[in-house]
This record gives sequence, structure tokens and C-alpha cells, in this order.
Amino acid sequence: MEFTILFLAIAIVMLVAWRGPRRLAMGLFAVVLLACVATYLHHATDVLKLSF
Amino acid sequence: MTQTRAIALNALSLYALAGLLAAVFAAQFLLGELPCPLCLLQRVLFATLAVGPILNIRFGPRPSHYAMSLLAAVAGAVVSSRQVLLHIMPGDSGYGSALLGYHYYSWALIGFIAAIVLLAAILLFDRQFEDDGATQPVAGGVFAYVAVWVVIGLSALNAISTLVECGFGACADNPIVYELLKHGS
Repeated sequence: MEFTILFLAIAIVMLVAWRGPRRLAMGLFAVVLLACVATYLHHATDVLKLSF
Repeated sequence: MTQTRAIALNALSLYALAGLLAAVFAAQFLLGELPCPLCLLQRVLFATLAVGPILNIRFGPRPSHYAMSLLAAVAGAVVSSRQVLLHIMPGDSGYGSALLGYHYYSWALIGFIAAIVLLAAILLFDRQFEDDGATQPVAGGVFAYVAVWVVIGLSALNAISTLVECGFGACADNPIVYELLKHGS
């Protein structure tokens, strides 16, 4: 469900960027990007069996 | 590079993103492979790359618009790197089938790194940030107009297909059926 929301959100951000105020588009972009990072941290739970 | 040329390049980059989103969409339906959560996140971040070019076309090129795309590309590179590392051990066959020898997430990593390099390269051209008088806001003509709406349409289609795949709950780590179609049959 979170990915459906992310796709919808980014489509809305694109619409705002194309039709709405610039500052609003940039603010919404930041929110979506932060949501992507949060989703990544939520899903990146498997341990990487690597040594560096 | 003049502002007009920069806007044309931004429109071209939208077509490239649209082609990429359409290609993975086609692979999903033609090969019957359902994208995993990290694959979906990479698609979202490819779509996120498009916001900067849309703003450049509408308001004229600005460094801040390119910076937005750079941030999205770096986030995408991090996500695809993690998936590459998850399957990098010898004997691991990877997730999904390979295209031209590389899995989707490997191509995604190459794509995000290419985006970072291209964005850095286009930022080198200072003249695009000076108004050349030839273009007005919401510029680019039909070429740019179509590009913007194709990318928006593909993002909306991805939202629908993801809803059908994952349903209203959390997406499965290794999806094999479309959740909403499973309940319907």
C-alpha cells in the first residue's frame, strides 16, 4: 500500500510542478523524498552478509 | 548552452524516463514478473527524477531544480546498491530474470549513476541560467508538453498496478500473485 501512495504522491507532485506554485512543488517533492527514505529504512532489514 | 536548448534537453530526459518506466512496465506484464518492494521503490525514485525537469520546462532552468533530481538519483543509487549487495554472493541467482546479463536492479544502479553524471555535466553550462529572451515560462512546445503528460500518466499507471499487486496491505517481499486479482478469482 505504501508504494501505491508513493506513486500517487509523486504523480501529484508532478502535476503541481506543471500547473501549481513552484515553492509548493518543491516542498511536496521534499516530503515525498523523505517518505521514500523512510520506506527504504523500513524495508532494508535483511542483514548483508558482507565484510569490507 | 542556451536556455532553449537546456529546456529541450530536459524534455528529452523526460522521454528517457518515460521510456524506462514503460520498459519495466512491459517487462512486468510480458514476462509475468512482479516487482519486489525494493524494485518498486527504485521505480518511484526514477519517477521522482522527473520533477526537476518538469520545473525546468515550466519555470526555466535553475540549479535548485537540478539539485532536486540529483538528490533523487543519489537515493535511487543507494536503494539499488543495497539490492545488488543482497544478491552479490556467489551462488545467489538474484531476483527475477536478467536482461542482457544484468538484473533490473543492476540496470537501475547504472541508470541512477548515469543520471548523477549527466546532471553534474549539465550544471556545468552557466548560460542556461540566463534568460535568453527566446523562451517564456511553460516553454518547450508540444514536445515538452507531451513528455510531461506521458511521465505523469505512467506514474499514475504504476500506482494502479502497484495497488493491484500489493492490495491494501504491505507488499510481499517476494510477490508471486496480484493480491487484488487473487481475491477476485
